[in-house]
Amino acid sequence: MNQPHQNVELRGSWSKWRNFLFSRDSSQWLTILRAGLGLEITLYALSLYADWKRMFGSASTGFLNREFTEALMSIQSPLVPRIGWFLWAGQHLGLNEETALTILWFLLFAAGIFLIVGIFSRSAAIAAWLLHLCVAKTGGYLAYGMDNFLTIGLFYLMISPLPDAWALDRKIWRRPAPDPEPVGFCRRVLQLHLCVIYFFGGLTKALGAGWWNGDSMWRALTRPPFDLIPAQTLLHAQPILVVTGMVVCLLELTYPILIWSNKTRPFCLTAIIGMHVGIGLTMGLHLFSLVMIVLNLAAFGPGALKWWRGRVPPPQMELQPKGI
Amino acid sequence: MNRRRVYLAWFALHGFFILTVSLQQTLWIIGQGYTFLPTSKHWQDAESVTTTALGETLSLSNPLRQSVNAYINGTGIEGGYGFFAPSVPDSYKLVIELHYPDGHVEYELPRVSDTATGVRLATLLDQIGRTYYEPLREIMIKMLAYSVWQDRPKATSVRAVFGFVSIPKLSDARAGKTESYHFLYAYDFSFHEPAASER
Repeated sequence: MNQPHQNVELRGSWSKWRNFLFSRDSSQWLTILRAGLGLEITLYALSLYADWKRMFGSASTGFLNREFTEALMSIQSPLVPRIGWFLWAGQHLGLNEETALTILWFLLFAAGIFLIVGIFSRSAAIAAWLLHLCVAKTGGYLAYGMDNFLTIGLFYLMISPLPDAWALDRKIWRRPAPDPEPVGFCRRVLQLHLCVIYFFGGLTKALGAGWWNGDSMWRALTRPPFDLIPAQTLLHAQPILVVTGMVVCLLELTYPILIWSNKTRPFCLTAIIGMHVGIGLTMGLHLFSLVMIVLNLAAFGPGALKWWRGRVPPPQMELQPKGI
Repeated sequence: MNRRRVYLAWFALHGFFILTVSLQQTLWIIGQGYTFLPTSKHWQDAESVTTTALGETLSLSNPLRQSVNAYINGTGIEGGYGFFAPSVPDSYKLVIELHYPDGHVEYELPRVSDTATGVRLATLLDQIGRTYYEPLREIMIKMLAYSVWQDRPKATSVRAVFGFVSIPKLSDARAGKTESYHFLYAYDFSFHEPAASER
């Protein structure tokens, strides 16, 4: 009896969901993502420069044998890119391991610079993704959260329609503006991915008692090599540790709700960026903080900036969100 | 319209992998009893469903498993997002003792040149600490010991001592308790410079 009515409702919600996913968007967010990840890749390459050959050299030079880590990785994932593939290709071109590793480092660094200025954006994005993936996977035992988030960001950048409005490519080659629908779609996927990241991060933290009584904050800030603040100073700030632990849990858990509303987005975005700045300053995780700030600003920044400028979109536009 | 369908199909698959990996990690943490939730077989059963959904019960050589693995690694979604959750673990420490022919002993830690790489080294020590397969752990420690020995090739034997630094709880620290070192494993190695023909 109710079937036609239900079908209309289903079609209505499907239509809303489709409009949500395929909203048309400007490439402003892509500019932030491209330039931000370009900066991240450049700093990442510079931070590894001094230990590059020790990290990825073979048995006689490296502190973690590359052939050993790649052999272990091959058992689990033989299709995942790795540095060994480049070195194998280099060998066929007559390059020894040291030279090939040096070239690899320069390629990674150059990809970062190209992304910052937006020249050969698409090729640079693909190269940055591939090279970083090789480095992160070959050094899998040395990789931490930052590598995951950088891979995520570079993957979305690589599949998004480039070049964006501010890329040099547009000025030099006079390329047409990208189709706003795929631009909006890619941004939407990044936004949803960030929501999942923070929700599950917050959930697992909230399930541990330590995040509610300051203990986890204390341990995070005193655990080597993140112990930048003297323990005695932290002991005097016990109430701050308790409150900060709770705020981190609640902020991450509620991020998927607060970030969507025009009213709460600026607060939520500022708070989450503040949290990452805090992580960078107090724990020395600068690259991790930078990549998280870039992802957040790219995903939700442009819309929030509109609010700050006092140009909140009229309420009826929230049904078909644009520029969030 | 066709383009939208392709995008939707990819979005569904991509979202499925993101959610399944995140759920798998969360259920594993709960199932292991690391949270304040009561441990139950149901958590482990639910985790095994996600493991199956990700193809991890298939044989290692199965093309579907390898493809899924390559995809989730390539998109950065293989690890879950529970960093420092539900609690912050203790940190591991590796001390290398270098024994010289004249009897004197030097103590060294694995060194890196940059703070950012220092974080990576700490990650590596955590990985070693979480490795329960003894031969694998020994090989990893041997490689680190070898890298230290390379800077001091005159040492005739090397002892690698692996342990963890236990950080007191906040309440214990306020009562004056400080961090303490706990021994876990020790390995003895001897290295030789490769002969000219091997270089």
